[in-house]
Amino acid sequence: MIKLEHIFKWIEGKRREFILKDINLDVAAGEFISIMGPSGSGKSTLLHILGLIDTPSEGAYYFMDEPVHGLKDKQKSNIYKNHIGFVFQAYHLIDELTVYENIETPLHYQDVKSSERKAMVADMLDRFNIVGKKDLFPSQLSGGQQQLVGIARALISKPKVLLADEPTGNLSSKQGQEIMELFKTLNNEGLTIIQVTHSESNAKYGSRIINLLDGRISF
Amino acid sequence: MLTTFYKSSIRNLLKNKTFTGINIFGLSIGISVCMMIFVVVRFETSFDNFHKNKANIYRVISQLHNANIVSTNSSVPTPFPAAFKNDFPDVKKVAPIYSDGNDEIEVLDNSSHVTKKFKEATGMFFTSPDFFDIFDFKWVVGNPSMLNEPDNIILTAGTADKYFGDWKNAVGKLIKRNNQQVYKVAGIIENPPANTDFQLKLVGSFNSLKASKNPDWGSYNSAMGTYVMLPDHLNSHSVDQRLIEFGKKYKKGVDEVKNIQFLQPIADVHFDEQSGNFLGRSISHELIYVLIFIGIFILLIACVNFINLSTAQAVNRAKEVGVRKVLGSSLLQLRTQFLTETSFIVIMAVIFSLIFGMIFLPIVKNILDIPISVNIFHDPLIFVFLILLIPVIIFLSGFYPAVILSKFQPIKALKSKAYSKSNGNISVRKGLVVLQFVIAQSLIIATLVIVQQMDFFTNHSMGFDKTAILNVPIPRDSVSQNKMQFLKDQLNQQGGIQKYTLSFASPADNGNWFSNFKFDSSKETDFGANIKWADHNYVSTYGLKLVAGRNIVESDTASEFLVNEKLLSAIGITDPANALNKIINLWGGKIKGNVVGVLKNFHASSFKDGIPPLLLASNKKFYSMVGIKIASKDLMKTVNDINSIYSKTYPESVFEYQFLDDKIAKFYSDEKKLSQLYKIFAVIAILLSCLGLFGLASFMAVQRIKEVGIRKVLGASVNNIIILFSKEFVLLISVAFIISASLSYYFMSKWLSQYQFRIDLSWQIFLFSGLISLVIALITVSSQAIKAAIVNPVKNLRSE
Repeated sequence: MIKLEHIFKWIEGKRREFILKDINLDVAAGEFISIMGPSGSGKSTLLHILGLIDTPSEGAYYFMDEPVHGLKDKQKSNIYKNHIGFVFQAYHLIDELTVYENIETPLHYQDVKSSERKAMVADMLDRFNIVGKKDLFPSQLSGGQQQLVGIARALISKPKVLLADEPTGNLSSKQGQEIMELFKTLNNEGLTIIQVTHSESNAKYGSRIINLLDGRISF
Repeated sequence: MLTTFYKSSIRNLLKNKTFTGINIFGLSIGISVCMMIFVVVRFETSFDNFHKNKANIYRVISQLHNANIVSTNSSVPTPFPAAFKNDFPDVKKVAPIYSDGNDEIEVLDNSSHVTKKFKEATGMFFTSPDFFDIFDFKWVVGNPSMLNEPDNIILTAGTADKYFGDWKNAVGKLIKRNNQQVYKVAGIIENPPANTDFQLKLVGSFNSLKASKNPDWGSYNSAMGTYVMLPDHLNSHSVDQRLIEFGKKYKKGVDEVKNIQFLQPIADVHFDEQSGNFLGRSISHELIYVLIFIGIFILLIACVNFINLSTAQAVNRAKEVGVRKVLGSSLLQLRTQFLTETSFIVIMAVIFSLIFGMIFLPIVKNILDIPISVNIFHDPLIFVFLILLIPVIIFLSGFYPAVILSKFQPIKALKSKAYSKSNGNISVRKGLVVLQFVIAQSLIIATLVIVQQMDFFTNHSMGFDKTAILNVPIPRDSVSQNKMQFLKDQLNQQGGIQKYTLSFASPADNGNWFSNFKFDSSKETDFGANIKWADHNYVSTYGLKLVAGRNIVESDTASEFLVNEKLLSAIGITDPANALNKIINLWGGKIKGNVVGVLKNFHASSFKDGIPPLLLASNKKFYSMVGIKIASKDLMKTVNDINSIYSKTYPESVFEYQFLDDKIAKFYSDEKKLSQLYKIFAVIAILLSCLGLFGLASFMAVQRIKEVGIRKVLGASVNNIIILFSKEFVLLISVAFIISASLSYYFMSKWLSQYQFRIDLSWQIFLFSGLISLVIALITVSSQAIKAAIVNPVKNLRSE
């Protein structure tokens, strides 16, 4: 479902500084991949390229068999609107919106009807056991709860792929475990997940581990 | 679809109450200034727009050549209108108008006894029936043809109410003008609207006027004018051409064709300051443009504030932008969201501006002294204006921030790096601050220059004494003239009076009498001298100085003359002593006398004009006022005493008085209005600019919070930090100062050049305005700098 061919990413300076070098990657539907590597190895950049919020300097990227390198912003936005969900280490909830409204936001961008939105958000709140928190603002929640909301928000638009950038990085190990269990369940239901992580134990939840070192996939 | 946009927008606005408040306040001040200027400009540009024939109505203007000076004037020789009507049969409507103002009106009862007395400053207005065919004034009772009868008078409903209680009772009643002619009220017209130069009160028949019979083609009386209405097919330029031939035909031997007449469209009348109008108040196109520009500039300053404050806040919104983008928002949707936020603020600002408008409009009305309605809800066009203004302001202030905000790259935004490096827009903001300060400093400089020039007007010596001198007009009819001696006897006995003098006018006056003359049997001069008819006490009462010869002796007729230095230089005499005992001959020998003394030059009118050649001679029959130098400390008691003397002497007249310094101050009422307006606008401009600086400073404080933390850890003191912040603003304000100083030097030199006597543009004015804006700006900036500097550095650094 995702295919990367000879992806390079560099920063122009006095001399080119490579962040990613010749990445080739195939991800099949239903996989749960963990990207690991030391700081600065290019994990996040790879994830951002996969999520279309960053562009490779060179190389080809096929998403669901369609070439997406060189697409315009608007077309990219259409893809992640419909197929990609993001989860961040720092949760990145909108501070001024309640839990309910945060989860609802992506649906606005997909022009979902009001009655339908209500049903979908209610469903999601129910599924993550946060019905009681729906009118709270992010600042009133614990980190684990915020991340749950973040995941709920990522899943509301029924994406094919969930991209998670160190989703447990800011959480206690217990909270982290719970999130990983949740990912496992979601993966079992058919969701493709790609996560960046530092933690060996978290990586083990995945079906495949990719190690990055100095911008290259190491085997 | 829109709900969460608005929710986060509104919650954001509420969370940042200071920013929101400053934004709404700043914009609403800007909008209300625009609104007030709109009201004023609309009023001033609507003058005499309501006549349905306005495209075909013209005023006759005379171009006068006087000793190399060309001036225009709305007066025409008295026989002009009748001759014009005769020679231009294709011009159907020609209306002479005559009004010399300051009439005393007595209301008579059935047995011709005076019941009430009124002083009408605008005076009676004399014209022909054509006037009402040209202009659209509505008749309540009667019709224009009533003006064919010499003794008929037409009143406006308001005047009739004033005289007779109710205009319905007015028709058929009698009134007397200036204790001379009796008129019968024949018709009533509606009160003229506020926006016409013809603020009619009493309208009489032109033919009833003695002055209308004057056959002289060479004299121009400012009370006399002519309006014409051309048929559609006739073009005013062709009439102008024919007027040249017309002039040659009638003015043979008078002033030849030197002084010509031409037509001026009525649309230009209210804006022609040189020629004046019946209303006595005009406004130049320049002043209207200045007002419009000030309105635009102040609105711009307010919009710049908005831009600065919203982009400063952008940092806080970066994360939201990033998240929304990742969640699938398009650029357009984000821009819509931010513009919606702007719209909300703008609409709030408009609502507040209505409140400010209600507070400030009466003040502006007072300053400008114009009869505009202070109730903004009376004028639906104000709302149309505001509604049209809303999208303009939303675009001006919201567009740039929306573009900047929506452009944030999601990865950078989410890593909080949106504001890390200079991404170009900081220089835009700096440019905008410079723009603001150019506007504000220019206004400050302009204000200081105008205020200094005003000071010059009031404090610079005019060459005569003007303090504690009372001017009391006296009636000029023959009966009253016989009472002059009685008046003098009374004044002689009155205490508290140092000196008094009877004269035609005070040394500097609104009414001036110019005439050509012959000096020492040479031929008649081609320039006029200002003639001050006055008794022998004039020189001592007003403290005039003699440079040669002696004062005139007491006399009722003109036997001796005083001349001023300017007159001598105009006829080429350098030594004043040489002028003594030469003969002055006026009006073909009707008045003749020797020069006995030479007066030191004094200002015979405002400092706008030069000093004219001047003649002073006695002539009892032209005296129309008493000038009284009061010695007593209790001015008002003396005024009351003089009042009772006046009433005893002229029981049928109304006592009026004016202090000479007040009269002179009124020469500069336009400048005074201007200076007051500028003061207000300059304060608003500097206030708004500082709001913007505050925004930029707080933005920098946020942006450089980490730098401040690091510097403090490295040992920087609070002072060091304040200097660090202030340095940039000092630079910005200096740049603005250079621009504004050169701009205002140019424009204020131009403004000053209209005055013959004026201040020099001193560098102190510029320095002062630069310093004042710098100080105000630094106070604003350091408040933010201190806030940033006193935070514990650990806090700043931890957030990374």
